[in-house]
Amino acid sequence: MRVHGLIQFQTRAVFRSRRRRSNLKPLFLAAFTPTANPEVSLDTTLVSRLLQKDVNAFEQLYDRHSRAIYGLVVRILQHAGIAEEVVQDVFLQLWRNAAQYDSPRGPFVPWLFTLARNRALDTLRLKSERQRRREDQTEELPPVVSAPEYEKQLDEKRRAEKVRALMGSLSPQQKKAIELAYFEGLSHTEIAAALKEPLGTVKSWIRNGLLRLKEGLQATT
Amino acid sequence: MKNCGQFREMFEAYALGALDPAERAALEAHLGTGCADCAKSVEEARWLVSQLAYMSPEATPSDMLKGRLMQTVRAEAHAVKRPAPSRSVIPFWMWAGVAALFLFSAYSAWNAQRLQQEIYSANQRAAAILQERRDLEAQLQLAKRAAMIVTDPASVKIALASQDPQSPAIEAKWHSQLGIVLTGQKIPAPSGNRVLQLWLIPKTPGGRPIPSLSLRPDADGKFVLLVANPPELMAATKALAITEEPEGGSAQPTTTPRWVGGVS
Repeated sequence: MRVHGLIQFQTRAVFRSRRRRSNLKPLFLAAFTPTANPEVSLDTTLVSRLLQKDVNAFEQLYDRHSRAIYGLVVRILQHAGIAEEVVQDVFLQLWRNAAQYDSPRGPFVPWLFTLARNRALDTLRLKSERQRRREDQTEELPPVVSAPEYEKQLDEKRRAEKVRALMGSLSPQQKKAIELAYFEGLSHTEIAAALKEPLGTVKSWIRNGLLRLKEGLQATT
Repeated sequence: MKNCGQFREMFEAYALGALDPAERAALEAHLGTGCADCAKSVEEARWLVSQLAYMSPEATPSDMLKGRLMQTVRAEAHAVKRPAPSRSVIPFWMWAGVAALFLFSAYSAWNAQRLQQEIYSANQRAAAILQERRDLEAQLQLAKRAAMIVTDPASVKIALASQDPQSPAIEAKWHSQLGIVLTGQKIPAPSGNRVLQLWLIPKTPGGRPIPSLSLRPDADGKFVLLVANPPELMAATKALAITEEPEGGSAQPTTTPRWVGGVS
């Protein structure tokens, strides 16, 4: 995307600057505050404009994030048509309840991911076609997702590449257990039954895999 | 936070939604106590779990999805923004103009009515003044006429002697063309509402007294009576007489004359 390209260029420029002027590291780190990330600032601005029912802001948010959200929902539901309904529901929830997003407490994209995953898993769990209708679903939005200090500066593309690389470095069992939990919403017990592995082993796989992901993202900075 | 240790390994699984119901209930009960450290750890675990979304590759939804969304969003935005202008389709300045026009119209109507009343009152006053002037002019004319009768040497002086020796006489002057003037002083007023009426006694034998004007002296007993058009010629009149009559006068004398004077 053009926006990503621009941000990558800026990020590389900052890194080059850091290499040349290592004695200015504290000042450089100060640039990695949440407000220093232009993507975060833009998302925050756009969401705030939703409160005034700004249709153009909504369209920009959709263009920026619909591909990632749709990719996630399709992965969970394995059905393009139903996935589009869920994505539509997610963005309408955002449009109608933007005030519930507490922007000072957490970044927008992880919150939107959480909202989309919850909606997709709700849909996956419902049995009948009639229950799948929107009016039967909760309007509750997910809580704020607070980003740790070590992870606030990566742009979307670099973060995605990093996560995929880190997940690819896990053992197949670890990765499979985490995928069953994340994309299918299974509990520890259900995963143990599906993989025919002891419950304790599954818990360790998932926790250790997530901690490794955390360490890997932390090491990015 | 003495119980925090037993939950430390649950944060990621809780954020992932993988805890079994009993474990989840225990952790949520602990979070419900307000443990800030564990709450912060859970929030960070939620962020970490949210990053798993990047495992799935991006995909492009159909253009129809965006079309449906934008159509819905535009309609809702329009519905939200519409009531504001519809509530005041007529702008404030127009309401102010209407109010000003209404006030001006009310003031104009009130002012017109007030002017009409003033004009009517002025007309009434003018009419009264004119009438008063006419009355004064008429009185002036009568006074002039009476003065001319009294001062003209051609007038014939007639003394009407009282039948009561205590009462003063009444003097009359008759001008053959201008009429008769009667004057009296210290004349006792008739009783009640009765008046003094002048009669012309004709020379014709057996002729009845001809009624003329009536009068009442003022509080001092003075009066001046002008008879501009006597009912009979001086030459055909033998005498003048004054009787006391009911208010408004009589066609025939009802009392005996109190004053009588012959016309020479």
